[in-house]
Amino acid sequence: MPSRVFGLLPLLALLALWQAVSWAQIYPTLLLPPPAKVAAAFVTEYPDILRNAAASITRVIVGVSLAFCFAVPLGLLIGRYQILDVLADWSIQIFRSVPPISLIPMALLLFGIGDKPAIVLIFLAATWPLLINTIFGVRSIERTLIKVARAARASEQLIFRDIILPSAMPAVFTGLRLAIGGGWLTVVTAEMIAVKSGLGYMILNAQLTFRSELIVAGIVVIGAIGLISDQGVRALRARVCRWQEGLTAEAE
Amino acid sequence: MQFLECRGVGKIYASKAGPVEALRGIDLAASEGEFVCLLGLSGCGKSTLLQLIAGLEARTAGSIRVGGIELDGPSDETSIVFQDHGLFPWMTVERNIEFNMKARSVPSDARAARAAELLTMMRLSDFAARYPHELSGGMRQRVGIARALTTRPRALLMDEPFGALDAQTRGRLQEELLQIWEHQRTTVLFVTHSIDEAVFLADRVAVFSPQPGRITATALPRPRDPETPRFTALKKELRRMLVPEMYGAALS
Repeated sequence: MPSRVFGLLPLLALLALWQAVSWAQIYPTLLLPPPAKVAAAFVTEYPDILRNAAASITRVIVGVSLAFCFAVPLGLLIGRYQILDVLADWSIQIFRSVPPISLIPMALLLFGIGDKPAIVLIFLAATWPLLINTIFGVRSIERTLIKVARAARASEQLIFRDIILPSAMPAVFTGLRLAIGGGWLTVVTAEMIAVKSGLGYMILNAQLTFRSELIVAGIVVIGAIGLISDQGVRALRARVCRWQEGLTAEAE
Repeated sequence: MQFLECRGVGKIYASKAGPVEALRGIDLAASEGEFVCLLGLSGCGKSTLLQLIAGLEARTAGSIRVGGIELDGPSDETSIVFQDHGLFPWMTVERNIEFNMKARSVPSDARAARAAELLTMMRLSDFAARYPHELSGGMRQRVGIARALTTRPRALLMDEPFGALDAQTRGRLQEELLQIWEHQRTTVLFVTHSIDEAVFLADRVAVFSPQPGRITATALPRPRDPETPRFTALKKELRRMLVPEMYGAALS
């Protein structure tokens, strides 16, 4: 496998392009700050950036965790019992098509300004990928394995714990990655409207005060946290689903 | 008394194109410790019959008795081995072997002791901590057989267990299976489409004619030597029973 350092190349190229554009003075420095100015903003504004990043991260963790506790057990049940699937399928298909951002006005009306509407929106954004992937994971269990369990007269409880849950785990992790991504998108948007803290709020505020270097700094932090959290989930998945090593084409 | 007895067993599946009759009027018996092969071409219903005897599917006609008791769902007296081995990919070899005992609530120290016994017997001790995908096809099937034997079943139901293996591995596993059988004296019901395999293994061969499946049985004397004319004559006779029309066509 090629070295992971390779992945830095496009980022370095982007950085170079950015520097070149600022040197060329295509946009005034006030609108497009050069990299050095953004770096300086990190140094001077880091308490502010840190505080806002912490606020956003906390919201995503709370919202996604709530969604996980709700959607994964529900998905296991829907995947296992056809009657629940018939009951839930249309509702899932309808509600998952609604972009969480379109619910911001409703969330504001019901929950006011603050953490609550943001967390509710993240919860909604994270629920659908978790639910759908968990259902899919349960569905894709090899039929023979269920037969083995039935022939051994395994209880439904044992089938859930030892067969359905572990075999759905890789799909659950796929859902989790999508959920965190979706939650992260939602939190930034929600913070621009519904809360007075967090990276989304920081970015919007920076625009109002013409602090474009803070806007860019905010974007960099958002991207970095996205990368780190995704790497974290992948590492966790590799640990939990160690049995999958060498089974799939995807070498992690 | 026969240990395993099928009388007038029939199976009709509901399908989108209407009911499909897979088996009709099957009579089959196996005495305690007998090795019976169910021989037939693909689609003849031999695997269906095994699934019925394993209690994994409900018959639509007739009676199946295991140990004198009318069958209703999987029996504690039988264990099944599948062609695609049916090992849980997220469990190590040892945990796979323990599963059938776990399903019957055998305490964990007794499980570990019995698993160790079978690991030794199947020469798998060095692989106890491996995952199934790290094993060769032949070894996986030995794990499948070990798992089936843990509960000391009085009948072993085998659904083309060596069908996916290469010729050498298959030959070795056939010999191992005969050794196990001579040692444990369980009844074996062995589904195969290979005349050679049936003639090599069975006390008695039940030949299926297809659509819907019906049975004629023939007894084979032991010991058997593939080099003798007697063996060749048996194979010829079975081939005639298995595909009479093809045999007739070849002669003319």
